[in-house]
Amino acid sequence: MRIGILTGGGDVPGLNACIKAATNRAVQEGHEVVGIRRGWAGLLELDPGDPEAAGRHTVRLDPDTVRTIDRTGGTVLHTSRTNPARVRPDDEPDFLKGGRKGDEARDHTPHVLRVLDQLGIDALIPIGGDDTLSFALRLHEEDVPVVAVPKTMDNDVHGTDYCIGFSTAVTRTVIFIHQLRTSAGSHERLAVVEVFGRYSGETSLVSAYLSGMDRAIISEVPFDVEKLAQLLVDDKRKNPSRYAMTTISEGATFVGGQMMMGGTADAYGHRKLGGIGAMTGEALKEIAGEGIIYQQVGYLMRSGQPDALDLMVATNYAVMAADLLLEGTQGRLVALRNGTYVNVPIEVVRQGVKRVDVDALYDADEYRPKIRHVDGKPMFLY
Amino acid sequence: MRLGVLTGGGDCPGLNAVIRAVVRRGVLAHGIEFVGFQDGWLGVLQDATQPLGIAETTGILHRGGTILGSSGTNALRVEGGRASVAATLERHGLAGLVVIGGEGTLKCAAELADDGLRIVGVPKTIDNDLGGTDVTVGFHTAVQVATDAIDRLHSTAESHDRVMLVEVMGRHAGWIAVYAGMAGGADAILIPEHPFDVDEISRHLRHRHLSRSSFSIVVVAEGALPVDGTVELPAAPLDENGFPRLGGLAIHLAPEIEARTGFQTRVTILGHVQRGGSPVAFDRVLGTRFGVAAADLAAAGGWGRMVARKAQDVRDVPLAAAVAERNLVPVDLYREAEVFFG
Repeated sequence: MRIGILTGGGDVPGLNACIKAATNRAVQEGHEVVGIRRGWAGLLELDPGDPEAAGRHTVRLDPDTVRTIDRTGGTVLHTSRTNPARVRPDDEPDFLKGGRKGDEARDHTPHVLRVLDQLGIDALIPIGGDDTLSFALRLHEEDVPVVAVPKTMDNDVHGTDYCIGFSTAVTRTVIFIHQLRTSAGSHERLAVVEVFGRYSGETSLVSAYLSGMDRAIISEVPFDVEKLAQLLVDDKRKNPSRYAMTTISEGATFVGGQMMMGGTADAYGHRKLGGIGAMTGEALKEIAGEGIIYQQVGYLMRSGQPDALDLMVATNYAVMAADLLLEGTQGRLVALRNGTYVNVPIEVVRQGVKRVDVDALYDADEYRPKIRHVDGKPMFLY
Repeated sequence: MRLGVLTGGGDCPGLNAVIRAVVRRGVLAHGIEFVGFQDGWLGVLQDATQPLGIAETTGILHRGGTILGSSGTNALRVEGGRASVAATLERHGLAGLVVIGGEGTLKCAAELADDGLRIVGVPKTIDNDLGGTDVTVGFHTAVQVATDAIDRLHSTAESHDRVMLVEVMGRHAGWIAVYAGMAGGADAILIPEHPFDVDEISRHLRHRHLSRSSFSIVVVAEGALPVDGTVELPAAPLDENGFPRLGGLAIHLAPEIEARTGFQTRVTILGHVQRGGSPVAFDRVLGTRFGVAAADLAAAGGWGRMVARKAQDVRDVPLAAAVAERNLVPVDLYREAEVFFG
């Protein structure tokens, strides 16, 4: 069997360990592995009429080529956000532009199926988040054997408790928060730490819980910035070191779409471009009259090497995915449920969205984690 | 003899090393008693003090920030500030002050010293832009933090075939950008001393991407400036002291580079983490040596002077001369860094 592996969406630490483990497992059993470069774009942009295209868009993977890749972050296969089922004119390769009338997104799944056939790929292990895996599901429906691996540092793929990248993102954020404490304390500031997490506030919630932040604002619960200001001023007053800190998800929103007050436009554009964290920082400064520190953790959450937990999960997901394909199982998503490695139907990625269980884990009045009754909960609490 | 100690301006790693060393040396070698002023000049104006002896300064060497707190308050901009400072020193029977600070704090100290106040200065700033000394406390930790970040950002930039702009601190001088850029293997470094041409940088990045590599790391000092007339970037808003509030240049630069190269360009602003956290060994050693020298200088009556590092030695220089000049990145050093661009 010839197995294709690709990585799509944002990079996270652990992808290379996943690629390595899947390659070694498959080759060990006498199979071939082909790495597809730049996610689904590698297949979309492969021109079947160009004899050299396969060499540019794919790379042969074997134990020698993957030997050292797990020591670094990112993905050696590179990545893209392309979805071949919805291709906009800008992303459409010239050789596929025929028949285009307007600017509508077009479905090039038939082209991808042709390319897979030409490459002699019998089965696929796509590693990605919601978007990447939605096209994996599409290929499954076209009878391509697929076993998908979930990764996102937001931990928001539906159907699994854990996605590769989440642990390292939280580890980095906790370290970052503790580093900021000396500046926040020395200057007696209110500090706003913005973390990636557009739809799920889990990175904000868990990082705040583990670093002992005063407050945590999450994507799922719109917040009242005046109330947040009062809470933080109070936290600061009670702190012997005279500062207070909150995390905030990049996807957080004000209550009722509550907008920034005042017309004191920041000529440097922070407010508009920095998003919710910068707006919240400015608002806190105006309402509370306190000096603030606003800081994004940003790409540093997902850059660089994986921590041990991400190595563990990435490696085990890969071994499981390879084993499933080798035994002839397909159309599955490898997953963690209640702390146990399992596989579930790949359709699950389309059957819902994964969000923080607000009732169980978040105090929406106090804007902070509410973690109780841990006994019996899975390792990541839900 | 009784001495006051204060830390002013932005906090940086290594301040506690200075405080600890001043106190240890002062008490043990010279029998000095210390009073700590809280939050920089503000504590002197408001007479907010805390005990500062060997017990209070034990176990703080490795800790970031400053146990005395800090502020940007300038005693000379407050009405009656001079008289208030003098009165506080009088009230506590202080022979003088050890002032640990950057440009703003030490300029204020130099002017007060000129009026006859007895002050010894210790230079600290992560920007490393103070005159009179080769290096300031906090600089090397900031460089290490920025270098670690650049190392990590490589994997993301490479995975996505992107240009990553890494913005570091450096208002007047590009020391952090040049050092961290050199250490992290940056493909371009933009600093205040050397105005940049965004067209030229974009050509350079395009050439690099087409010929060798699919990603680039560009280190941008927050105070970097474009060559006049090449690109319109919004002016920074002013803070309460009338200084431009920097930070965010890279956000405006990214779309300009993206438009000219066609490469996705993303921004990481390191901001306050550069001066947070535990000091690297160099800053602990430098802070400790500066602290010892400052205590000796005060005991010897070397008022109006600042401890400084020249070559490998710690010595002292006139405070007024130190704050009158600025330590900028020399052209030769930038040229050395440039060897590795692209």
